[in-house]
Amino acid sequence: MLQATLFGGVALLLSSCELLEFSPNDVRVSDTQQELTRKNLARLAAQPKPTGGDTLRFVFTTDSQRYYDELDPLVSSINQQRGVAFVLLGGDISDFGLSREMTWVQEKLDGLQAPYLTVVGNHDLVGNGRAAYQKLFGPLNYAFTYGDTRFILADTNGREYAFNGQVPNVPWLQQQLADTVGIRRQITVCHVPPFNEDFDPALTGPFARTLVQAPRLVFNLSGHIDKFGESEPYDDGVTYISGYSVQQRHYLLLTLWGQKHYKLDVIAY
Amino acid sequence: MRTYSLIISFLLFCLSGHAQVTEPSRQPWYVPEHAVLQTAGGIGMIAGGVGYALGAHRRFDADVLIGYVPGTYTGDRAFGIFTLKGTYSPFTLPVDTHWQIKPLAIGALINYTPSQMLNRSRDDKYSYKNYYWWGSTVRLGAFLGGRVGYGFNTRTGRKRVASAYYELGTNDLYFVSLLTNTKGLALGQILTLGLGVKVDF
Repeated sequence: MLQATLFGGVALLLSSCELLEFSPNDVRVSDTQQELTRKNLARLAAQPKPTGGDTLRFVFTTDSQRYYDELDPLVSSINQQRGVAFVLLGGDISDFGLSREMTWVQEKLDGLQAPYLTVVGNHDLVGNGRAAYQKLFGPLNYAFTYGDTRFILADTNGREYAFNGQVPNVPWLQQQLADTVGIRRQITVCHVPPFNEDFDPALTGPFARTLVQAPRLVFNLSGHIDKFGESEPYDDGVTYISGYSVQQRHYLLLTLWGQKHYKLDVIAY
Repeated sequence: MRTYSLIISFLLFCLSGHAQVTEPSRQPWYVPEHAVLQTAGGIGMIAGGVGYALGAHRRFDADVLIGYVPGTYTGDRAFGIFTLKGTYSPFTLPVDTHWQIKPLAIGALINYTPSQMLNRSRDDKYSYKNYYWWGSTVRLGAFLGGRVGYGFNTRTGRKRVASAYYELGTNDLYFVSLLTNTKGLALGQILTLGLGVKVDF
């Protein structure tokens, strides 16, 4: 009895600690809600590839911003897919750039059987969102390799930086794409696609040319526009895929094999 | 967390301690009637201010507070938060000659965080109107709470009350999130708790 009361008391204290919010713009979260990128990459590194041969399968969904009702159905649908190595979320995790919003999404995505990785969206940079994203998820630009495939995730939300000519960081992107040791395929992931008005117009050309020069690039994935598309907007041999937003209740199941072969399945939930 | 325990201890100390004795005098209307010290509730790790008790039965409190959130919790530089708060407590239950309980408090607040760290949402970055329809520096809040007071007389016979209160509330953005997600979010997820003390001058 005493023990139960004690545990209850401690639980109450811990939960009220979270209730004691200093500011909605603060970045004060529990240890389990921090550095999700690093933690999910560690999980991924320890996980044997669920598909045989050179086949790699993953899910792309995007723009979860304030669509919490849709997240449970999304998670249970993805969990029913076979061979999913990981899930990519294409930015705008939050709507208002608040850390508590990001934790709401984290709590839902914790239900995924596969690890998940994110790229930062423009809504995640509003208010104190940049600091919140960096603390709760991790770097705004990063790359990882899985199944001989190099995934390069870049902040392309140029308008949030008043089009300062530095976002996306094209030299960094070039450097990442140049490093092809042991890499069979490359995939770039960003929130705002280069053909959207919220992409820094001065960098559209350099960005597109950087992708053309990447010989092992399969495609570029993006979010932001809430409109699915698969096209070669610059007729330069580079495929750009725009994903479905969480609100649209569809996601992309992507299966890669060989060097540039891929199959795109649109899944409704 | 250590700083935080210190603040809690300080709040408890304020509650247990008696206010200093001053000469009774008829104060002009604009001189505040009480001091406030609060932690959390979205207005600072620590927020201090002054306020007035208004109305015939002094059921309405109007407070102004300045809050502080240290850089450790903002990711970079400290926040200063300026808050205006109104609280209405319709009932007062006397317990004995000293103690009284105000079981219900209904309140609203507005605050402003002028930090340069906050990337402004209202500077027409996006050509389409109202893309970011909210302001990132101004928050509206509402809360329910309660208060326990201890009344005492100064040596000169003036009556004073020292009280402790709690406020369970939320802000406009959390509320909109819940309103548009009745299945995906629960009320408990959008709540914030504030704890504070008020002492009459």
